Amino acid sequence: MSILTQTWYIYARNFKTWMAQPALVIPSIIFPAFFFLLFAAPLGGVTNLPDFPTDDYEAYMTATILVMSVVFSGADAAMAILADILSGYFDKLLLAPINRFSILLSSLLMAGTRALFQVIVIIVIALILGVSFKGGVPGILFIAVLATILGMAWSCVGLMIAIKTKSAQITQTSWLLFMPVAFLTTAYMPKDFLGGWFKWAVTINPVDYVLDSIRVVVITGWAWGDIMLGLWVLIGMTALALGVATWMYRRETA
Amino acid sequence: MSGGDTVQVEKLVKVYPGDVKAVNGIDFSVARGEFFGLLGPNGAGKSTTMKIMSTLLRKTSGKVTVAGHDVEHNQMEVRRSIGFAMQEVGLDDLAQGRDFLVTQGLLYGLTPAASRARAGELLELVGLTEAAKRKVGTYSGGMRRRIDLVSALMHNPPILFLDEPTTGLDPQSRHAIWGHLEQLNRNGTTIILTTQIMEEADRLCQRVAIIDQGVIVAQGTPKSLKAEVGGDVVILTLGQDGAAQGESLTNKVTSLLTSRNYVLGVSAPTGNGAQLSVTVRNGGEVVPDLMRFLGDNGIAVSNLSVASPTLDDVFLKHTGHKIRSDSTSGDELGQITKAMLGVNQRR
Repeated sequence: MSILTQTWYIYARNFKTWMAQPALVIPSIIFPAFFFLLFAAPLGGVTNLPDFPTDDYEAYMTATILVMSVVFSGADAAMAILADILSGYFDKLLLAPINRFSILLSSLLMAGTRALFQVIVIIVIALILGVSFKGGVPGILFIAVLATILGMAWSCVGLMIAIKTKSAQITQTSWLLFMPVAFLTTAYMPKDFLGGWFKWAVTINPVDYVLDSIRVVVITGWAWGDIMLGLWVLIGMTALALGVATWMYRRETA
Repeated sequence: MSGGDTVQVEKLVKVYPGDVKAVNGIDFSVARGEFFGLLGPNGAGKSTTMKIMSTLLRKTSGKVTVAGHDVEHNQMEVRRSIGFAMQEVGLDDLAQGRDFLVTQGLLYGLTPAASRARAGELLELVGLTEAAKRKVGTYSGGMRRRIDLVSALMHNPPILFLDEPTTGLDPQSRHAIWGHLEQLNRNGTTIILTTQIMEEADRLCQRVAIIDQGVIVAQGTPKSLKAEVGGDVVILTLGQDGAAQGESLTNKVTSLLTSRNYVLGVSAPTGNGAQLSVTVRNGGEVVPDLMRFLGDNGIAVSNLSVASPTLDDVFLKHTGHKIRSDSTSGDELGQITKAMLGVNQRR
């Protein structure tokens, strides 16, 4: 039995577990809807500022909501694997004659699935609100892929916290860790409008570069010059997260 | 190391961080088809040993082979050969009972069809067919134990590890599990079980190792271990109206009894002379002769009971303390048989 088959079996089980908890699925729809309602609509006036890159604030916010949602989905991945660790089911998986990386891999695939689901929900809401994606249909697919990968990268962080601490209390508060990377960005305004320590924090926050790439595809279109940097940052960040998570997973389960 | 052994543990040591020695150099081996018990209190090192044997935990030193495979160098082969029901059940609460088992089978390499068939069989075996479509999270304690147990059997493992499989269960569920385990062992499965329930070890295990503070203090068949403690105790109540008999009779009976070669000692525990406590070899076998002998000598006996030493007594002898403070197993009551000649011969 190949590692892919094993991964598929565990993934199928993880997927069913997720579907069996509507309490986890429904908020991932409501959360972005609220975001549009609470931020995009009332703050729309900022587009009147000189040099604001678009006059469609909902389009601007689409990228923000996408990135925030997938970053926070890292906490979901953490809680999912923690539930298995605490119930003892994780040990049952470790006892099976399977490649143990299939467990990690299936958790990441599940994280990707959850992120993708969020992404689709957000894009649908944005389309309903009349956001016009300048990158067209290929642009929508492109940002969906980017956001999903970003979600998986941050899920690695969540998985690490869960595997390392094995504590529900600590893992539940892991979203505190995701907060600064999600909010210290150009979520609401372009960088030129920011100042002081905030601007500095945004500059060193890798997530902001990915946010920027996604936003360019939404509000400008295929401006490759502005997209590439975020793409490289995403690749680097994902590689690092995967590497560290794999290393830590090997240490904790060997 | 004999050729028939399927599990071998040699000089096993496990030291946890903080220099906690959980297992301190234990040796034992288990033959193919044997039902073997590790008996000891909480913290004795039983679970640690089981986790090392099942590849879940790394040992500090020593050598462990399972089904001929080294537990560290050949993990996959070891895992394929064993089923392990851990002390804490590890269930997928959100899955339906049947789905949980089927996934388990798939992970052990069964085809989907074979896995479904096997799940059906095992659900039937432990009486969970009705509950197969319910989520495992809704199961009662006994049901959870049973499905956890059969989840370890999906791939028909030749060796089964059970870490306190009936702890926390009501007597009825416990007896049901025992029945399943005996059945499995009869069908050829090698079983290694840990327990702190004396009755469980006594009833199920062909051989036990008594473990305390990371060390094996005694090893053997339950019968031989109990025999080491000393003989059985026969409690006699003399005469038709007990206490009226007086001391002379007691003395007469005592001297009569000590002439029999199977009698190891006689004492009058209650002090009133009516009751005598006679320590004998093989209580069950000698009682008929004892009764005939007393009858021939004109001594009337109104009541008789036989008590055997329990594994509790064995544990006490080797460690100086009882295995559990709340250790009132049904065993002790069960073996005091109030009958004239129908003495219950214990296994």
